[in-house]
Amino acid sequence: MPPSSIEKAFLKKWLKGLQALSSSSSSSTSKKEMSIFERKKAIKLSADVAMASLKNGTTSWSRALIQNASKDDNNRTLLKNMLGSQCDEKLSRGPTTTSMMCSMRVRSKRVLRRSCRWRRVRKITKDQRVHAGSMAKRLVKKRTQVLRSLVPGGEYMDEYSLFEETLDYIMSLRAQVDVMRRLANASEFSSKS
Amino acid sequence: MERIGDVESSLQFGEEIERLMTIPHESGTASSFTALLKLPANQAMELLHDSSEKPYDYSLNCTSSSSHLHFPSNLDLLERASRLSVFSTAAAQDSPETTNSSQNSLKVKNEPTETDSNPKSSPEISDPMSQTQTKCQRSGKRKGREKKVKNSSKKSKSAENEKPEETEKLPYVHVRARRGQATDSHSLAERARREKINARMKLLQELVPGCNKISGTALVLDEIINHVQTLQHQVEMLSMRLAAVNPRINFNLDNLFPAESGSLVEGNFPSMVMPLTWAQVQPIGNRQQQQQLWHFDTLHQPVWGDNPNFITPENSLLSYDSSANSVSMHSNRLKMEL
Repeated sequence: MPPSSIEKAFLKKWLKGLQALSSSSSSSTSKKEMSIFERKKAIKLSADVAMASLKNGTTSWSRALIQNASKDDNNRTLLKNMLGSQCDEKLSRGPTTTSMMCSMRVRSKRVLRRSCRWRRVRKITKDQRVHAGSMAKRLVKKRTQVLRSLVPGGEYMDEYSLFEETLDYIMSLRAQVDVMRRLANASEFSSKS
Repeated sequence: MERIGDVESSLQFGEEIERLMTIPHESGTASSFTALLKLPANQAMELLHDSSEKPYDYSLNCTSSSSHLHFPSNLDLLERASRLSVFSTAAAQDSPETTNSSQNSLKVKNEPTETDSNPKSSPEISDPMSQTQTKCQRSGKRKGREKKVKNSSKKSKSAENEKPEETEKLPYVHVRARRGQATDSHSLAERARREKINARMKLLQELVPGCNKISGTALVLDEIINHVQTLQHQVEMLSMRLAAVNPRINFNLDNLFPAESGSLVEGNFPSMVMPLTWAQVQPIGNRQQQQQLWHFDTLHQPVWGDNPNFITPENSLLSYDSSANSVSMHSNRLKMEL
């Protein structure tokens, strides 16, 4: 299947980041010192950041991902090269406030919901449907927690946005995996021949 | 006393809808009304016949277009109008409750919220006209991604003991509460929210392979989590492979096409389509699916031109040759792991 435009754009950005990495590392330390694990980390990081930067801050997970990446000082140079310095500063300031607001909103919603649910449970206890329903709810809650830990920035989202973000995240991950696999296959093939 | 006035208002609405149905145009407000008409048939039928299990296919109606809900043709309208009238008569014949409830007050609310609430979420409103209006307004704002709508078994109760809500003004909808559920605004909002979430879950179900047959939120979530974890692991594995393949982290795409008389020229796109190499790649590179290499030519111009420290193809070719042995060991090991 021919690659989509997203995949092409991703590849461009990713390779740009990798070049920036290799050039910077060549200037500072010798390249031979990068172990395979360091290389892998660098590759993965640049791939993730490339994918997230394609979103241009429209989705929450992409902002969270870039923000998490920028927390580590080692990644500063990579991020600067890939995103441009203004993006880095903008992203570091913006999402923190929104995530705080979101968490506050989420917390207040939870309080409200708990009080309403308590009231409602009292009404429904006569039906004896509570027990099965509440267990199902607990299961769903657990799963939702796990999903929050998987999606970058998921802790701050409410349920609805979480699902939306998950959708988008899955699509992006698929594209990323597709590109990386093709490049890996091509590289391995060329290294063999 | 109240009822008479309400019946009049509902009649007014009926007239309005019929008027709008005969006007084929696509103004902003009217589009939502016309969008209304796309849904009603399926929704009304579904709810009246209390068929919760059957997934109703909307493809024939509203979901063909993406976000515009355009007006197909007069013929479609007439068809739908006939269907609607069929339902109103059927409703009158089939169940006495529907006729009773049609006398009750049912008014339509213009939902101010822009967030999409699922049409399937709205409870059974026996009067098909107002029902269509509410549902279609919501669908009009919905992005056209939904294909199937399934009523969860909880919501598929037929209209038996329903309590209408109290509203005075015209734009409010009389939502029928289901048996044993509260009708205050909090729980309504809760319900609307939950149904939004269920809509998203449906989308996720369609996205994740193998999720369609699973029913139940927890299991679907399980699958979704599994899928996300799988994808993330794949990313890790692939980055490991790439790190192993390449001693330096620059991917010189020229070397991927050794048969080419490679040049990193910016201005032109040399026809980098190498059918030779691609044919060779095919049997090796494909594990599960057919993977074809791309035209990397599009990448050359912006990417290579920028970097002053770019390593010339000869050097990287040499590096490949020298480190080929160690690299092949790495890659073999990785392949076994995979």
